Amino acid sequence: MIVPYASVMSDDNTRNGVARREYLAAAGGAGATLGLAGCMGGGSGNGDGSGADTATGTPIDTAAPEEEITIQVAADSNFANSQEAIMKTLREDGGLPDNITVEFLAGSFTTGDRRSKYQQILSAGQQKPTVFMMDNGWTIPFIARGQLANLSKVLPGSITETVKQDYLDNMVATAQGQNGDLYGIPLFADFPTIQYRKDLMRQAGYSDAEFDKWATEPMTWTRFSEVVKKTMDATGKTGFNWQGAAYEGLSCCDFIEFMGSHGGSYFGTFDNYFGPIGERPVTVDSENVINAVRMMRSFIYGPGNDPAALDGIKDISPDAVVQYKEESSRKPFTNGDVIALRNWPYSININAAEDVFGEDLGVMPIPYAVSQSDSEYETIGGSTSALGGWHLTLNPNATDTRKQAAVQLFKALQTDEVRIKMFEIGGWIPPIPDLIATERTRQLKPIGRYVDSLKVAGENALPRPVTVVWPQESTQIASEVNASIRQQKTPKKAMTDLKKSLESIESQV
Amino acid sequence: MSTEQPTGSAPRRERSGPYVAVVRWMENLSETQYAYLLLTPAFLLLGAIAFWPLVSTFQLSLFADSLGQASVGEFIGLGNYVAILTGERTALLPSPFLPQSLTVGAMFNSALAVTVVFTVISVFFETIIGFVQALVLDQNFRGRRWVRVAIILPWAIPIVVQGMIFFLMFQPNLGFLVGTSDNPAFLNQIGLLTTTPLANAQDATMIVIVADVWKTTAFMALLILAGMQSIDRSLYDVAKVAGASPWQRFKYITFPIILPTVMVAMLFRTIQAMRIYGLIETVAGCTTVPSLSCLVITTFNNRMLGSSATVAFITAAIIAAIVSVYIVGYARGDV
Repeated sequence: MIVPYASVMSDDNTRNGVARREYLAAAGGAGATLGLAGCMGGGSGNGDGSGADTATGTPIDTAAPEEEITIQVAADSNFANSQEAIMKTLREDGGLPDNITVEFLAGSFTTGDRRSKYQQILSAGQQKPTVFMMDNGWTIPFIARGQLANLSKVLPGSITETVKQDYLDNMVATAQGQNGDLYGIPLFADFPTIQYRKDLMRQAGYSDAEFDKWATEPMTWTRFSEVVKKTMDATGKTGFNWQGAAYEGLSCCDFIEFMGSHGGSYFGTFDNYFGPIGERPVTVDSENVINAVRMMRSFIYGPGNDPAALDGIKDISPDAVVQYKEESSRKPFTNGDVIALRNWPYSININAAEDVFGEDLGVMPIPYAVSQSDSEYETIGGSTSALGGWHLTLNPNATDTRKQAAVQLFKALQTDEVRIKMFEIGGWIPPIPDLIATERTRQLKPIGRYVDSLKVAGENALPRPVTVVWPQESTQIASEVNASIRQQKTPKKAMTDLKKSLESIESQV
Repeated sequence: MSTEQPTGSAPRRERSGPYVAVVRWMENLSETQYAYLLLTPAFLLLGAIAFWPLVSTFQLSLFADSLGQASVGEFIGLGNYVAILTGERTALLPSPFLPQSLTVGAMFNSALAVTVVFTVISVFFETIIGFVQALVLDQNFRGRRWVRVAIILPWAIPIVVQGMIFFLMFQPNLGFLVGTSDNPAFLNQIGLLTTTPLANAQDATMIVIVADVWKTTAFMALLILAGMQSIDRSLYDVAKVAGASPWQRFKYITFPIILPTVMVAMLFRTIQAMRIYGLIETVAGCTTVPSLSCLVITTFNNRMLGSSATVAFITAAIIAAIVSVYIVGYARGDV
């Protein structure tokens, strides 16, 4: 490209000589302008990301601020859409002062997107929003990095003590630091159950009396597979859908349930769940855990067709479960093709709607294989539901007045009436066992019919072992378990390999 | 301008001022040197835009991951590169960078191998099919405009929408291309796909390749067609008069003239293919089909900033190496 340009120039040397002189004069002016622009563009951030550390532990004035003030809560569109109803109950039932307005911001429904966004906001030391709604699956890493306000230090003891005493213990555990201090107030909880079609099971000879019993008394996996298999034979429908794709949902939730209900655990006793990393045993190669994988293989391939299958467990799940996530497993169930589904409460609201299955939808807690008393580890075993749910955490960089206003919000949320109203408004299940199954909540439609099952699930809810290395560990768990249920590896080989990778991750941090 | 001196007054001083010195220096430059001088601001601007992010990524790649802190870890020089390339960090990565063994399974689990397989196969088929499409479109026939629209249409579809189309096609119980073990679809029966293809690395990679070929062949076809349209038609007339067969006309006229265009089109496609991410994320997910960009994004989201920057920089280096192969080849063809 240069060559023709140069040859054109050499045709007219004289003109170029003058042009160069003029060019220099013009460039002098242009250069000065560019220089100015350069100065204006200069940044002044310190960029070390340490701004968060200074303000995490100063106590906040508990008196309500006097001026008109609006605080922002980074939440999701369900909260944003119910803004008015939530504000009404916060003011009327929770006593939130009139001069404080809470604005719920609609964030992404994808939990990972929200996590990334909060990481940016907190790393940059931004003052807004004042309060974050954080998934219990990733609050602890924010705590470990010192990016959240320590509520045990900044809030009055009355609030933090109530949380520790009345709220679901396992939920509170996912908002605590290594020293036991509280960094988040549980906002709502979520626990999966088994949904099933009563109408189809009636055809297989099961009665309403049995359904009533199943609603609160977990059955064994063997019995469950028999019931579903019998219904499959009677109706010709697909049996049991769950989520086996290689994603966070498998390691955090489905596998925690299958494994926990066999008395198995990733890191031994529950005390080790949140650390210390590198000093806890990795126990995924124990027989209980391997049995859980074998049971998943039995569900898919059946004891006769798979040498690794678990005896006594019938083949009740379609091959597709190895590729299913929540919605892909729910849709065939909602379409009426499937007898039973393991899923979160949001799908109860869909499936129990009058134009779907109405009262023909039954709900039961997750079945089990090894009861808690027979389990090697205390508090692990028996019916196990994965623990989902969200906390409210406080931005340590917020202004003092906004922090004061946030204290008033946290206080208002302590009121039982506010919690029940929240359940009514948006289906947000109170993280407080006593408030899940009450006369009031039984009136809710359609979820009210199932609150007793949800309460049992809540009492047996087990969180994922969140630490700063959980994202890495979760990926390895999901891919090994998925490889095994796709028959690429035997359960024993997959779990032995997994143990090696988990130990390697633990040792590298 | 204040720097301008009135002509005639003190001509001696004018010859010795700094302004005059610069002008004289400029006037004594050769034409090529002067051209480069004029291009310097543009180069600087381009350098700032193109290289500053690259340098900044390289700088980040020299620091350790810090899972437990809000900022980056300590300076470790090339430690991240060593750890990733030797496989020392594999346990912490969602998928290994290099294949851990030479089995098919290990290949489809490695970010580099998957990306290379994807790039080679997809660019190969896109070039061949694009070429054929361009040859067809280069003919005069009724409705040519409509065929052009039909061929360009996949290119106009947003990646996410296209990803969802392919995701649904291979979703058991929903997609028509995949059945169940009791009721297998045609592709299952002939053993091409398992009944859960989006959970299987080989199947999913194949599906992503097909999806990419479906979409971007149009891009190749258009570029090659543009090259074909620029060929002087009289060359064909002369060839016909001289008795050249259609194959000879293609071999001696069309192909040599459009070869540089095809090379440029392949270069663009190769660069794009090496960066594949969106289609994978929407069709099969990064866990099943781990490309290099997938690895960068998942490690970044898992707060392994140093590792993420390292993989990003290595990816950029690999792309740069491939680009130079093309450019060297192109330069040789040009001579």
